[in-house]
Parts: sequence; structure tokens; C-alpha cells
Amino acid sequence: MVIYLKAGGELRSRLQPDVDHYTRRVEAETGKTLSDILIGIGVSPAFVAFAFKDGQLKRLDYLPSDGDIITLQPPVSGG
Amino acid sequence: MLSKEEKERYSRQVLVSGWNQEKLKQASVIVVGLGGLGSASALYLAAAGIGRLHICDGDRVERSDLNRQVLYSESSLGLPKVEEASRRIAGLNPSVDVIGRNAYVDSQNAPEIIAGCQIIVDGLDSLDPRFILNQESVRRGIPYVYGAVHGWQGYAGFFHPPQTACLACLMRPDVFRPDRVPVWGVTPAAIGLIQVGEVVKWALGLTPSLFGRLLIYDGSSLSFEIISVGKDPACPVCSQS
Repeated sequence: MVIYLKAGGELRSRLQPDVDHYTRRVEAETGKTLSDILIGIGVSPAFVAFAFKDGQLKRLDYLPSDGDIITLQPPVSGG
Repeated sequence: MLSKEEKERYSRQVLVSGWNQEKLKQASVIVVGLGGLGSASALYLAAAGIGRLHICDGDRVERSDLNRQVLYSESSLGLPKVEEASRRIAGLNPSVDVIGRNAYVDSQNAPEIIAGCQIIVDGLDSLDPRFILNQESVRRGIPYVYGAVHGWQGYAGFFHPPQTACLACLMRPDVFRPDRVPVWGVTPAAIGLIQVGEVVKWALGLTPSLFGRLLIYDGSSLSFEIISVGKDPACPVCSQS
């Protein structure tokens, strides 16, 4: 299956977008969790605070479906 | 009961639809952390006329704070933030009852620091104390108004367990922590003022727009996105309560 990962903020450089400035196309095996997929493309899940799809929070154990567009957000801790 | 001076001070905002200045005067709010976020939120909560404003920070003012921490000035350098903030807030609005606590929040002192407060405003600059505040929010069933910034990016949310998710439903505690967070004034000011707006809605008895939701702000593209934060049935904090 193919999914599209988008990255916010500081995560963009780690994700290495290839579709546009924010987005990377990823081919992944069906049944892999988002966490597995991230590890597979060399992005440590520690750099992802949370993810969302269609305005809904998705946790890293989410099982993506073909065509999903998932936005990854980095930890933001400053004040 | 509002004094003559208070009626004059708030004469423009009481014209806002749904406003009730007496309700704001009855509110007891704590701002934990008086950096960029806390400077904005404490000042505007005071200006709005929140009746009792608890402020808490154990830090002293450094010159590198002055690009964003508008509570302070050159004359504040080296002084405790709580003292300077109390002075500034009292000068802005003497009708606000300011209660300062010169301490960093930790798991030991958090219950005592939060005691008597109806709502927690996050002005912190690191993750660990945020999770402590979140635990207190869950334990007491009071709202926690989350805010955090990094460079051009900021998050804000309104969590009120058990009606909503909590911070630990959103974010795991084992995420990466940068050594030094890039920050400039507009990002914490924008997020801090969004937090204030949510606190004021709550104090007025309105439903905060970010109730159980998270705002993702990116100042570099001036984009705002709001997502729903569902409760995590396996949340180590709020699913147990």
C-alpha cells in the first residue's frame, strides 16, 4: 500500500519530504503500525509527539490504510 | 460586586456579547511558568479582570528572556520572576488579587501549589512538569489549558478530564526533548493569548473552543489547524481515574 506522511515544524527535515515541502510518499506493508512504518523509513518514533488524520488524533499503534494521509507532529516543549 | 473603578476599567469589555465581569472576578486561575507563554497569559488574564491570579515560577530574569517575556525589563535582571511579575500585574490592574509562589513545580509541591485554583494555565518550558500539572488536573477534575511553543510552531489545548482527554492521551512522556528550544516573541504571545481566550470563555460559562481539542499553529505559514483529541482508553493517567 501507499500512504502519505506529512510533517509539521522541525520534523520536516527528518522526514525527508519527496512529494512537496511537507509530504513523503511511503510504500508500506499492510498490517504495519504507524510506528513500524516510521522505523522502517528511518524516523525514530521519539521524534513524533502525535499524529492525526482527517482532523482526528491517531496514535502510533494506528494501522494505516492504502491512501491515508497522516500528519506527524514533533514534540513542542518550549514556553 | 464591582467597584466604581472596576466598572470604569471594564466598561468596554462588558459590551462584548455574553460577557459577565462578576464571573471573571469570581475566578481563581493559576499560571504555572512565567516565561514567554506565562508573560502573555498572566498579563492578559489580569487585564481582563480575573479575580484571583496565582502565579508560579522559580526562575530569575535573564537578559535572554527579554526577547519574549514582556512582564520584565532591563531593571528586572537577576530578580525572581514571580516578584517582578507580581509588581507588573499589580501596576496593570490593582483589583486583581495576585498570589505569587517562587518555586518550580514538581510532583511534591504540585498539590499544594494548585490547591484552591479552579483552572490551570500552562506557561511551562519543558515536558516533565506539564505531565505533573496534567496529573493534578485529572486528580482534581479541573481544566488544564495546555500551551507549548518551538520556533514558529505552537500548540494549545483545553483538557478537562474526565469529560475530555488529558495531555497524556495526546502525547507520550518518552518523546524527544531538545536541549535548547528556539523561541521568539510572537509564538508564545499568540499561544498564550489563545490560552487566555479559552480561560475567559470557561470563566464566563461558555464552552471553550478547544474543549477536548488541540490547536496546531505554524507561524511560518500562518496556518491554524484544530484536531480532536479522543480519550485514550489505555491512558496511564486519566483512564485510571
